Amino acid sequence: MRPSPMQDDEQPVIMPHSYDGIQEYDQSLPNWWLFTLFASIAFAFVYWLANFTTGTLPDDRVALDAELAALEARQLAAVKDLDEATLWKMSRNPTTLAEGQAVYAGLCFSCHGPKMEGIKGVGFRLNDDLWVHGNTGMAVFRNINEGVVFDGKPTGMAAQKALGAGRVAAVTAYLLSFQQQGRMQAIDRTKEPSQLTP
Amino acid sequence: MSRSPVRESVTTIGRDGTRRFLQPAIVIGAWWRARRLVAWLLIAFFALLPWIEVGGFPAVFLDVEHRRFHLLGATLGLGDVWLLFFVITGWGFLIYATTALLGRIWCGWTCPQTVYLEHVFRVVDRFFEGDHVSRAKLDAEPWSRPAKFLRRGGRALAYLVLCWAVAHIFLAYFISIPGLYPMITAAPQAHPAAFVAMAVATGVLFFNFWWFREQLCLIICPYGRLQSALIDDDSVIVGYDEKRGEPRGKAAPGVVAGDCVDCRRCVQVCPTGIDIRQGLQMECVACTACVDACDDVMTKLKRPAGLVRYASLRELAGGRTRFLRPRTLLYAALLTVGLIVATVSLLRVQPAGFKLSRPPQTELYVVSADSVANVFRAKIQNKDDVERRFFVEAEATGTRLTILNQSAGLIIAPQAEVTLPLTLLVDRRDYRGEFNFTLRLRSDDGKVSVLQKAHFIGPDPRTLAR
Repeated sequence: MRPSPMQDDEQPVIMPHSYDGIQEYDQSLPNWWLFTLFASIAFAFVYWLANFTTGTLPDDRVALDAELAALEARQLAAVKDLDEATLWKMSRNPTTLAEGQAVYAGLCFSCHGPKMEGIKGVGFRLNDDLWVHGNTGMAVFRNINEGVVFDGKPTGMAAQKALGAGRVAAVTAYLLSFQQQGRMQAIDRTKEPSQLTP
Repeated sequence: MSRSPVRESVTTIGRDGTRRFLQPAIVIGAWWRARRLVAWLLIAFFALLPWIEVGGFPAVFLDVEHRRFHLLGATLGLGDVWLLFFVITGWGFLIYATTALLGRIWCGWTCPQTVYLEHVFRVVDRFFEGDHVSRAKLDAEPWSRPAKFLRRGGRALAYLVLCWAVAHIFLAYFISIPGLYPMITAAPQAHPAAFVAMAVATGVLFFNFWWFREQLCLIICPYGRLQSALIDDDSVIVGYDEKRGEPRGKAAPGVVAGDCVDCRRCVQVCPTGIDIRQGLQMECVACTACVDACDDVMTKLKRPAGLVRYASLRELAGGRTRFLRPRTLLYAALLTVGLIVATVSLLRVQPAGFKLSRPPQTELYVVSADSVANVFRAKIQNKDDVERRFFVEAEATGTRLTILNQSAGLIIAPQAEVTLPLTLLVDRRDYRGEFNFTLRLRSDDGKVSVLQKAHFIGPDPRTLAR
């Protein structure tokens, strides 16, 4: 190649040292590359200050709590208007019952039996008028929504997340449709276990 | 152009690490025309694909928000993401196999970086700032001159609009055109996430095409860095025929000269700033600009074209390119295996998903008067666009397994997912200890048949003996 005026300038410099006969060029890294290094060091410092020292950045835990609170508020809003009378009124409404039956057939049957006859050791029967965990419509609603503690262990029932308050209300109404208001009997299973056999 | 590229350092990075901007010349030759045609087709393909509907959805719609992926009429769910394995490895493998045969065809012809830079943004450069000479002059001018300000400003504005358009098309692949349009017409704060994604994409594209350019190919792109492992003496590359060209210079009485007249046209047109006559280099993206440049000069000198051409190192050394060689044969064999496996896997994708898990906070098993029960949680996903009735059945095993109340089946809406508890019962008299079993998810129209294996947990059968 014919040497150009600038060529000598462009020829890379070889470092004076030599190790095991290996020499190296003295080349610079691209400045933009170095910039990414220095920028990340600077960012680390800023982030450390903001997140761990001064706390100017929003805390993840605070954000999580806020989101959970918003979720709870939405669920409460859906439940707010619900009371005993409404539930019983729903329990005589065919549209609600159809929805409740669908929910029962899709979910509840697997523990409480296809005909609500109960499965021994898994779920109580629901087609009689004996109620262990509260003998009101609202109590049943709450139990389905939040689950119950049984023998000191929570059961897998809490269905609020899976179903939403609306469908929990519907399936509660469906259960109540087999009951008479005021005729649901509270029962203590520790005292009268014989009455609970499915 | 006063600087001569050297092999030992990168032309676009100065000794002090500063960036040196290239203003490559353009030669309109046969290869350039062909590459431009391919580029336009590719850009048209990229821009039109989101508009084409197949089976009610865009041909390619990666619906990240709903975790559904529509590909040419097929709908894949999150559970099918493993198929991406074939896309990613297949893509990589195809590029590797092509490299062994034809060198960096991908870089020069189809890589979006080249396609947009060479055939969109450099066109804008020439429109606003003229040819390479006037662009270099403009580079040297101070910003105080209004001409520079106007030209470069106009160019920046055009870049911004183009990047903005490309960012929108890119976004359309993830939210679809019908999803994108209301976002475009609404205020930015109505869809902050999409707006930020669009703005960031626009910014990144602008930075890339305005400033970064060939640095991406030279320093960032891993494919470029793998070349020495992918190319061998028989790979077709863009190469300089040294035997024919050297010694370069003008022939004169008493001076022997090859065909290269050392006009440096090939250096002027190189978008990565190398001298192709120094042989195969990592920076070469095989864009063929130097081929066009040299052919142009050779034709003018009435010498045969092809002093710089597509050729393998072996061919340039005087041999013949071998296309059939162990590497390419192995690639072909592996490609065939990969294609078969990918096709079989794709054909086996079911329009439904079926997963079994144990519900938390429940007993592992329950023993009652006449049966042993396990409760599972089945997640059934209807991935199809039609409503279906699903059944869960136990496959025949040594132990008779009853699933409670599955006779009616379960109707699931299109694209919906249902979680349902499954209570599995084994008669105490049949129970012989824990066992593995298989459940089948089936639809009434016979289109779905997904198997899922699980384990039935129970007590030691001896404890059940009465």
